[in-house]
Amino acid sequence: MRAVNYNPKLRLQIMVILVSLLVIFNIFGGYFTRFFIAEIAILSIFAISLDFIASRGGMVSLGHAMFLGIGAYSTAILSINYGIPPFYSTFLSIIIGLLIALFIGYFIVLLDGIFFIMVTLALGEMFHAWVFTSELLGGSDGIPGIMRPSLTFIGFDLNEPLVFSFYSIFWLIIAYYFIAKITDAPLGRNLDAIRQNTSRVSAIGGYTKAYKAIAFSISAGIASLAGSLYVQLNGFISPELTHWTVSGEGLIMIIVGGIGSVSGAILGASVVHIIQHELSNIISWWMFIIGFGFILVVLFMQDGLWGLIERIKKKFG
Amino acid sequence: MKLEINNISKSYGSVNVLENINILSDKKECIGIIGPNGAGKSTLFKIISGIIKQDNGLVEFNNKNINNYSVEQRSRLGISQSFQKNSLFLEMSVKESLMLASSHKYKISFNLFKPLITNNFIIKNAIKIAKDIGLEDYLEVKSEFLAYGLQRQLELGIAIASSPKLLLLDEPTAGMSPAETKDIIKLIKKLSKDYSIIIVEHDMEVIYNLANNIYVLDRGKLVFEGSPSAVKKSKLVQKIYLGI
Repeated sequence: MRAVNYNPKLRLQIMVILVSLLVIFNIFGGYFTRFFIAEIAILSIFAISLDFIASRGGMVSLGHAMFLGIGAYSTAILSINYGIPPFYSTFLSIIIGLLIALFIGYFIVLLDGIFFIMVTLALGEMFHAWVFTSELLGGSDGIPGIMRPSLTFIGFDLNEPLVFSFYSIFWLIIAYYFIAKITDAPLGRNLDAIRQNTSRVSAIGGYTKAYKAIAFSISAGIASLAGSLYVQLNGFISPELTHWTVSGEGLIMIIVGGIGSVSGAILGASVVHIIQHELSNIISWWMFIIGFGFILVVLFMQDGLWGLIERIKKKFG
Repeated sequence: MKLEINNISKSYGSVNVLENINILSDKKECIGIIGPNGAGKSTLFKIISGIIKQDNGLVEFNNKNINNYSVEQRSRLGISQSFQKNSLFLEMSVKESLMLASSHKYKISFNLFKPLITNNFIIKNAIKIAKDIGLEDYLEVKSEFLAYGLQRQLELGIAIASSPKLLLLDEPTAGMSPAETKDIIKLIKKLSKDYSIIIVEHDMEVIYNLANNIYVLDRGKLVFEGSPSAVKKSKLVQKIYLGI
């Protein structure tokens, strides 16, 4: 699997434009637009987490929604059952996701291609099945009544859609910054090298398994953050969030955006979510169109929208 | 540097690929391992580098039993290798490939936040190696766009970037034109001043040009050991290679 050209400068430029657009639409939009912006920001965080392990380490996960679920359910349980403030629940959820992934990663990160995909799919489905029947986690009904964090002591009421959207955008910027930093650091470059040629990284003395396990764990922590924000946005969590199709949609987003570009994941999440929403308002067979569009991207534009932007930039200087 | 290979044997099913091979290298030298196709050269190379494990025998490096060491662990001990088929990071530039290859030596590979390109000592090291292997004009070129001969040079560069104690070269001239072969021989000769080298090769001329000591394998057995001139004169070697 190829990633897009490594280009930190373009990555930052696209990120700045995207965040600016999100901020502008958030300021001038109505209630629904602001909710929608928050959704895009959260989906983007999830897409960044998937993009990171796919492009840095070559780990394509069809079970990553499990970590979205772990973040979401942890936040719900910690804040409702244990009375931990939602803001701190978010941090604890990230740590829980990170640690679970470190344990799982120890056993699975060295699996190649299809085996890694299928094992993550199996793990994700096992988790989904457990969540669906677990009384503690509300079974198929899920858990309602999840509160948003209270930041009134610094003058922010996160129950305001405008403020919560900014809060989500803030976390998106943090996630982007964190992953962009790691991508450029020796660990990230080694992970990129592992995707390209694992045996050569071993031959030069690289700690292949450790690098991949760390990446898997970091990615899971970020997916858990997205899950935590998701339940705070909606106020409830249902098992549907942990279904493998959610991971599949995440992969579609990063392919559309351009694998390995970080900001391409945000672009892909934004475009796919907007198209999904707009099309579903117009026609009932919108999934057919999405599927067809995805096939076109894979056939003719493997470096996604990132590649398109790169070509346009080259053409017009 | 001391490498000792004691009574190494390896078989696949009923086929004995290697039988009681003994090799000792305890000084800076260039050892050649030759033999016709199926002699067991590549298997021996893979056993020394840790890619596969022998059935019997012992591999010792600097008096340490490394039988159970993986490729990664052997590399960290100072055993580096280049592959018969180019094994590069095709989407990376020459400079970045060399920087990455030395990031383990400088113990910065777990660094999460400082960009690799801001490590000046690693950049300097990469540029020095690029000069050593004749790729200083291609530093920013992606590996996939290099000509085959230049890719072979980069293959060597990646192997030496971690300043190994022992360099294992598997058919370094494989697939090269006569002119490219000449260049790579020159390069390996230059490297042999700084590194202990073991070359596995089927091209006798390459080995005669480079090795101080040659081990000749035939059907899994070590049949001759000696200097290039002794090997040249050996009737046994001529028989193995030329069938006369």
